[in-house]
Amino acid sequence: MTCYQNEIDRIRENCYSNELQIATIIQTRQFIINNFDKKLNLDLLSRRQHISKFHLLRLFKRYYGLTIRQYLIETRLEKSKEFLANGMSVTETCFAVGYESPGSFSTLFKSRTGFTPSIFKNSNFR
Amino acid sequence: MKINVIGIPVQDQDKALKFYTETLGFVEKRDIPLAEGNRWLTVVAKEEQDGPELLLEPSPTSFEPARVYQKALYDAGIPYTQFSVDNVQEEYERLSRLGVEFSMKPTEMGTTKIAVFDDTCGNKMQIVEML
Repeated sequence: MTCYQNEIDRIRENCYSNELQIATIIQTRQFIINNFDKKLNLDLLSRRQHISKFHLLRLFKRYYGLTIRQYLIETRLEKSKEFLANGMSVTETCFAVGYESPGSFSTLFKSRTGFTPSIFKNSNFR
Repeated sequence: MKINVIGIPVQDQDKALKFYTETLGFVEKRDIPLAEGNRWLTVVAKEEQDGPELLLEPSPTSFEPARVYQKALYDAGIPYTQFSVDNVQEEYERLSRLGVEFSMKPTEMGTTKIAVFDDTCGNKMQIVEML
C-alpha cells in the first residue's frame, strides 16, 4: 500500500465518515443537475432532504467547496455554453437554463466567461 | 491574469506525447522546438480545445532537483496532478484494457470518486469524478 493510499484512508475516516450526510449532499447536487432549468430555491431543496436550510447550506459548502447558489450558476453557465455552441439563440438559451431576464443572463455570462453570449455563440461558428 | 498552462514533468517528451494523446485521448496543441532538442509541447482536452494546456516539460532530464522531486512523489504514490472524468469506473476499465497500470483502483472519497494510474513518464496521475 502506498503512502498516498494510507493518507487517503486517513482523510476518508476523519472527514467523510458520515455516509448519511454525504448521501444527502450528493442527492442535492444530483437534483440541481437534473432541474437546473427550473426555479430552484433553498426552501425546496431543504424540504426534499428533510433538513434545515442552514444545515443544507453549510453541508453543501463543506463537501463541495461552493455554495448552492454558486454551484447552480456554474451548472447553468456550463449548460448555456453547450446550448449556444449547438446553435440555440441567446434568448432561448437564457430561458432554457432557468433565467428569466436575457439582460441579466448576458451580464452574468460575460462576468464569468469574459464574453457576451452572442460573441461566445458566434465564435463557435467560425 | 489567467491560468492557461499547467506543466507536468516528463522523462521523455516523445513517449509522453504518445501516451497523453493515443492512450489518454488528449489532443496535441503546440509543438515548438527549443534548445538542446527540448520542445514547448502542450496537449489539451479533446472536448475543451480552447481550455488550459498541459505542458509536457522535460525538466527531470535537465534539472536534477526536478528529477528528485518527481521520483519522491512517484515512490510515495502521490499524483502529480489530476484530471476530471465523467465516470471513473468506466475510465478505469477503458485504460486498464489499454494496459495502463493503476496504483489505486476506483475509490469513493466523500463526494468524489478517484483512481490513480502510472503515466509511464515518471508520474502518478489521478482521475476524479464528482458524485
